[in-house]
Amino acid sequence: MTDIAVRQVSKRFGSVRAVEGLSFNAPAGKVTGFLGPNGAGKTTTLRMLLGLVRPTAGEALIGGIRYDRLRDPTRVVGAVLEYSASNPGRTGRDQLRVLAAVTGAPTKRVDEVIAQVDLGDAMNRRVSGYSTGMRQRLGLAAALLGDPDVLILDEPANGLDPEGIAWLRNLLRRCAADGRTILISSHVLSEIAQTVDRVVIISRGELRFAGPLTELGDGVVSVRTGELEQLRGLLGRQGYSVSVTGATSLDVRGATAEEIGRLAASQQIALSGLAEAGASLEASFLRLTGADESGRRPVATN
Amino acid sequence: MFTLINAEILKLRTVRWPWVLLAVQLVLVAAGVSGFAIASGSKPMDVRLALQHVGLTSMLGLVLGIMAVAGEYRDHTITDTFLATPRRSRVIVAKAVTFTALGFLFAVLTAAVALAVTAAWLSVRGSSLDTSSAIVWQTLLGAVLWNASFTAIGVGLGAWLPNLAGAISAGLVWIAIVEGIVANLVGNDLARWLPVAAGRALENVAAPGLLAPWAGGLVLAAYAFGFAAFAVAATVRRDVT
Repeated sequence: MTDIAVRQVSKRFGSVRAVEGLSFNAPAGKVTGFLGPNGAGKTTTLRMLLGLVRPTAGEALIGGIRYDRLRDPTRVVGAVLEYSASNPGRTGRDQLRVLAAVTGAPTKRVDEVIAQVDLGDAMNRRVSGYSTGMRQRLGLAAALLGDPDVLILDEPANGLDPEGIAWLRNLLRRCAADGRTILISSHVLSEIAQTVDRVVIISRGELRFAGPLTELGDGVVSVRTGELEQLRGLLGRQGYSVSVTGATSLDVRGATAEEIGRLAASQQIALSGLAEAGASLEASFLRLTGADESGRRPVATN
Repeated sequence: MFTLINAEILKLRTVRWPWVLLAVQLVLVAAGVSGFAIASGSKPMDVRLALQHVGLTSMLGLVLGIMAVAGEYRDHTITDTFLATPRRSRVIVAKAVTFTALGFLFAVLTAAVALAVTAAWLSVRGSSLDTSSAIVWQTLLGAVLWNASFTAIGVGLGAWLPNLAGAISAGLVWIAIVEGIVANLVGNDLARWLPVAAGRALENVAAPGLLAPWAGGLVLAAYAFGFAAFAVAATVRRDVT
């Protein structure tokens, strides 16, 4: 089993703390979503896992081994980063042929992975003419060349249309079903919510949540009301943690829906919505990644 | 290492810029040689002045070497390269070997063009090239080796300063301006050991003020290894973001 383990990893670029004491695991056979707003340290963490950036402290291991100590890294890990396989002057096919030669993958794998990512016709054109979605597919093809146990993808859904995202989901689910370890990053939870089993959420370089997706929203009740300020003050005085998520909506932790309903009724505050978590994954994500009380902090911008 | 060198060769065959560089080199040398061969005499020492243009194209050899590494940083393909080969020193060595050989090959072609153009101009003037002259062949051999070692130095420079524009500017400014200034500052005894002076020594048969050709060759080889050492030390520490 080739698990991913990040242990107490920190990285500083000069005076900037990109990642601070981060620890999490990504188990084999599961798709783990690595979430956080832009600039949270996701890409830096993935690059540390891949031996491209040296941690200031801690270690990032794949199957218990540092990437640069893997004997045959591309057979163990396939990665898609921002500029994977994107030399603009080469055709897609040449790009894959070069990578196959570098990694010692058999030439027939080139045609196999081209079929896997549905890039048939585009392969003989120069990469400079590719759309973002085509580049993502080409990057995936490159990552799959070595038939690796682990896939690490940085923002793979970026630039994909809904159809492309569905296609990516199927591909990743199949890979996980084969027992592979999949770690994919995104700054938009909804893009990958249907794809992942587990989520790791970071913000400002620090861990905010790690666990099954189903636990993410737990303990949170979403409330809608026209009398936001009154309800907020009421719940606050009761010691519940309240975060405003919109002009007429807020999330409450530490209280059940029933308790909130009774409290609101006792003060004659009308509620237009009251729901126990589950439906509010996105709200939990926003809260965990440091959306402030106004709830206006932009998290998903693309 | 064999796999890595093969991969470097395949990378070369799938991009266009090395061939553009070669074309520029051949056109420049043909023009440069013509300028001299039209006007000067046909004695080996006159012919030598024309053929020495082959040595001057080592500037392009330097750019070839710089592009080998800094070009990968610019295109971000260095990420794929280091993912495939996390032991970065091996990548630098493979590139140095491959591109030095390519620089050598380009220089041989350049020398052939220079020789052909010189012979053509001499025959136009009713004279002929004395191919039995050792001076002719020593000049060309030295010029080819100058090219190859500057390509090796370029690989080191490009890996050390992976900003493409910065590395090329640094290399060309050194050749065009800085070495001359440094030479004046340190005096001729020391200036003989500078890279361009060593290259000129390599293609000059016993010229005053320069090292012996063999010594020039050794000095250039030492520069190439020195830059490679700096390059490897810098490359293994660098964060690729």
